[in-house]
Amino acid sequence: MSCKCNKEEGCQNNNSRREFLLSGLAATMVAVGCSDKTSPFIPEETIALTGEKVKLLSVDGEVIEIDKAYLKPVPDITHLTNKQEREGMAGKKFVMVIDLSRCKNLKKCQSACNHAHQVHPGQNWVKVLSMDDADHSAPYWQPTTCMHCDEPPCVKVCPVDATFKRQDGIVLIDSNRCIGCRFCMAACPYTTRVFNWEDPIQAVVTDNSMPQENMDSKQHYSCETSLPQKKGTVGKCDFCPDMIRKGELPHCVSACPNGVFMFGDMNEDAVTNGAETYRFSDLIKDKAGYRLMEDLGTKPSVYYLPPVNRSFPFESGLENQLPADQMNHSK
Amino acid sequence: MEKSNQLSEEQIIQDLLPQKFGRRGMIWTAILILFCLVGAYAYYRQLRYGLVVTHMRDYVSWGIYISNFVFFVAISLVGSLITAIFRLAKVPWRTPLTRISEMIAISAITFAALIIIVDMGRPERLLNLFTHGRIQSPILWDVIVISTYFCISLFLLYVTLIPDIKIMMNVKDKITKPFHKIYRWLASFWKDQSDQEKIRDRIITILCITIIPVAFCIHTVTSWLFATTYRPGWDSTNFGAYFVSGAFLVGAGGVVVAMYAFRRAYKLERYITDMHFDKMGRMLVLLSLLYLYFNVNEYLIPAFKMKKSEASHLTQLFSGEYAPMFWFAILVGMIIPIFVLLFKKGRKPLPMFIVGIMVVVGAWFKRYLIVTPTLLHPLLPMQEVPESYHIYFPSWEEWSISLGSLAGALLIITILARYFPVISIFKTLEDEKEKSA
Amino acid sequence: MKKKNQHNLVQLLLFGMLIFFFAGSNIVEAQEKSEPQPVKKYLTLKYFNVANRQQYLLLNAITKDDKGVSPQQNKKFSIYIDSNDPANLIATVTTNKMGAAKAFIPPVQKAIWDSSAKHIFLAETDMGTDDEQTQEIEIIKSKITIDTLNEDGVRSITAQVMKLENSEWVPAPEVELKIGIVRMGKILSAGDEPTYTTDSSGIATVELTKDSLPGDENGNYILAAKVEDNDELGNLFIEKTVNWGVPNQIDKTFFNQRTLWSTANRTPGWLLFAAYAIVIGVWGTLIYLIFQLLKIKRLGRVKVK
Repeated sequence: MSCKCNKEEGCQNNNSRREFLLSGLAATMVAVGCSDKTSPFIPEETIALTGEKVKLLSVDGEVIEIDKAYLKPVPDITHLTNKQEREGMAGKKFVMVIDLSRCKNLKKCQSACNHAHQVHPGQNWVKVLSMDDADHSAPYWQPTTCMHCDEPPCVKVCPVDATFKRQDGIVLIDSNRCIGCRFCMAACPYTTRVFNWEDPIQAVVTDNSMPQENMDSKQHYSCETSLPQKKGTVGKCDFCPDMIRKGELPHCVSACPNGVFMFGDMNEDAVTNGAETYRFSDLIKDKAGYRLMEDLGTKPSVYYLPPVNRSFPFESGLENQLPADQMNHSK
Repeated sequence: MEKSNQLSEEQIIQDLLPQKFGRRGMIWTAILILFCLVGAYAYYRQLRYGLVVTHMRDYVSWGIYISNFVFFVAISLVGSLITAIFRLAKVPWRTPLTRISEMIAISAITFAALIIIVDMGRPERLLNLFTHGRIQSPILWDVIVISTYFCISLFLLYVTLIPDIKIMMNVKDKITKPFHKIYRWLASFWKDQSDQEKIRDRIITILCITIIPVAFCIHTVTSWLFATTYRPGWDSTNFGAYFVSGAFLVGAGGVVVAMYAFRRAYKLERYITDMHFDKMGRMLVLLSLLYLYFNVNEYLIPAFKMKKSEASHLTQLFSGEYAPMFWFAILVGMIIPIFVLLFKKGRKPLPMFIVGIMVVVGAWFKRYLIVTPTLLHPLLPMQEVPESYHIYFPSWEEWSISLGSLAGALLIITILARYFPVISIFKTLEDEKEKSA
Repeated sequence: MKKKNQHNLVQLLLFGMLIFFFAGSNIVEAQEKSEPQPVKKYLTLKYFNVANRQQYLLLNAITKDDKGVSPQQNKKFSIYIDSNDPANLIATVTTNKMGAAKAFIPPVQKAIWDSSAKHIFLAETDMGTDDEQTQEIEIIKSKITIDTLNEDGVRSITAQVMKLENSEWVPAPEVELKIGIVRMGKILSAGDEPTYTTDSSGIATVELTKDSLPGDENGNYILAAKVEDNDELGNLFIEKTVNWGVPNQIDKTFFNQRTLWSTANRTPGWLLFAAYAIVIGVWGTLIYLIFQLLKIKRLGRVKVK
């Protein structure tokens, strides 16, 4: 028996599907079985369906059909319009928690981020700063991303709406709009923004026979991927909304072997580093989470957990520090 | 009253008519054009390779272009100071200074607008400011207010010029003849009638009233580009007044320099007299004291508290690597002028000229110090960046473009002075008439 | 990058020499210490069963050397069931830029799939090349179910794992699994432990300790049970939507505010008013003055006539 239910018919409406589910376990099995989704986490509306079906074998040996889009390990997401990219995902409010007690300056976050966003060599969207607040305080490593402030000073000063705040809390840049005045860079108290002073490196990368996906990115610019980077415009950490849409975590989060970064949705009250998932409110309460420069009133979306009960001594991270930065200790 | 009463009408017209460039004028203009061309070539390189040809980087993301922009905006304020304030205050000796200051204002504001475009990473998207403009951004305020100021200054210059142009048309002189077509287009309607005069007078008065708040706005809004951020050294409520007072000082200094230069070049000793220098000298002392007062506020009060974020910035200025430039700007731009100008001998033309140059040069470095050192002291430590991000010294392209823009501003003044009288003939004649009456 | 000036050129040269020196000395050191680590290739294959219906295999190919881990991109693998006989081919896949590829079991293998409770999946590159890589996993057919209990107001979740043994479904004990609420594609444990283990009847029960979690606009959220990388069973996943959450309206009031950080079409009213008042005031005056100027012009012409 082949299940003919597809998105257009039975499972179209999420609400009706959910109510249906509540009627019982047996019904659940049928309904979920009918769903096209193979990865249940990706919001269905964001997947670019091909309309073409493929037949496959179920656990019980039945033949079922799914959309061809799911043959990829991560289905492509639908092409978003600039307007959709500017509005963001409805009902979400993204938040990041950075656990300072777990960081040993491995900089895996940084290299993953730089690679994924084709950040110019020497520039970083994620910086791991060695912080030392006072003479007799203990130094610690502080990964610093864009804070995605709720009262973003950078967005306030942008003259052309090139950087904007979305309803899901993410602050993005539209490099097709940016005039390169760099006021946002001066306005950001966290100095998180970088500028494409010269032609971006992506042209060089694509020459090295990169796979097809990269060639595509050369043609289509998206604010959500921040690719391709454009000369004369500003760039910064974007919370990887393209990854979120695919049901994955931002690159820094998944790259960190120590689970320093936790990412989640405030409206779901949960954050995860991939391996562990915590209730956000509990985590912040139990570990006394705080935000950077609270007194400025920028209301960041990034929370820090203080470097207590550390997993690693501070010194273990020194080998990864740039020689120049050893002199430039914060104090 | 040093001015002799024997000056005849013909004599005044002959003296004040624009003159052909002499040998010196030619060389001067050629040098300016050369600087402009080098600047243009540097800008071509910047367009081609991107802002990477500058030495600005992610931390010092604003450099000499922005300080140059602030300098131009500051100096352009002088048009309103001399013309409007003096006119409304009925200062009797203003006539020989107003035209010069209006010309300076026009050329400076033009290059302020140009240099800010040079600073943009994407100058071809300039129109985005109008198609996607966001009125919340101080940049848009600056765009509006600078273009408005430009229009008012141009309007004011034109309205005050109309009778002079008519006079030039009447003089069948070979100097002005090739340009009669333009002159006719500009002022053929002027018939020296009392009803025309009445309206013109009204226009000038209203323009003078309008230009004062707009002039205050251009520099206050420019100061807000800095004061709306959280950076140490910029995060100040004092900034608007501090900038405006500095602008008055550098503008007055610029006028003094121009007065001296035109007096020498056009032999205007009978019109721009020692008395004028003396009066401007007193002005300059007052303005220097005013600016010094704001400087004390701006630096002493943060230094008294020495907040962590401000401390490294301030020590770098007071005793660090920027100390020589900082004390140079304070001493040469304010303290020494005050002392020189307190003496009557210091207010003679030549010392005044030197003091004027000191004020302008000091002011230029002051603008540099306002922009750059602050950016080297971000709130979070500057780490994980290439060594070149830790220092800023402009590249040759930046120097060329900046010098080119300064040369360009001087070129505009030179050209304006070539085709239009630098002192209002009409007003001088009027003054003479009054005097003899 | 273009040279800035002479001064810089010298700096650059000096810097270059320094780098050269350091780089050189580093290489020597490395050679003294040990031979450079050879590039190692790793291939992983995982079996997934979602909601007891869809099943697929996920392949991941990476290389490791002293620089770190990098994916094997654009690489072809063949995946077989039970043996690498061409007749047993499930799919030929090409890895993406993350080094991952996915394969569903096609209907043509129904006979083989139904023949046994246990299967071997094999992934291999083209044999005979110098780049031979193979990987195989063995899984037992299994099912996972999830249900909820409400005893005296205490909410609990039970999950049961069954496996096929001699064509009979029997409980799978000692299976570690996560039980909780789906959040960002991951599972927020419903209880206080991160994971739970099934008992002899294949059942794990968790008491919900996370009270009043936000749900969707109707208060629904999704419960899930997930077995991860089990040696016998692979990866299993099942979900169930419940109405246990706190209704969470999509609130756009924050986003829709007229603030200084809003977009151009949501400028604060006071700012718009002030800006327009100033601009209209000044430009109104200027336009008035331009008309006055035209009046002067007209006066001039009239007199000529």
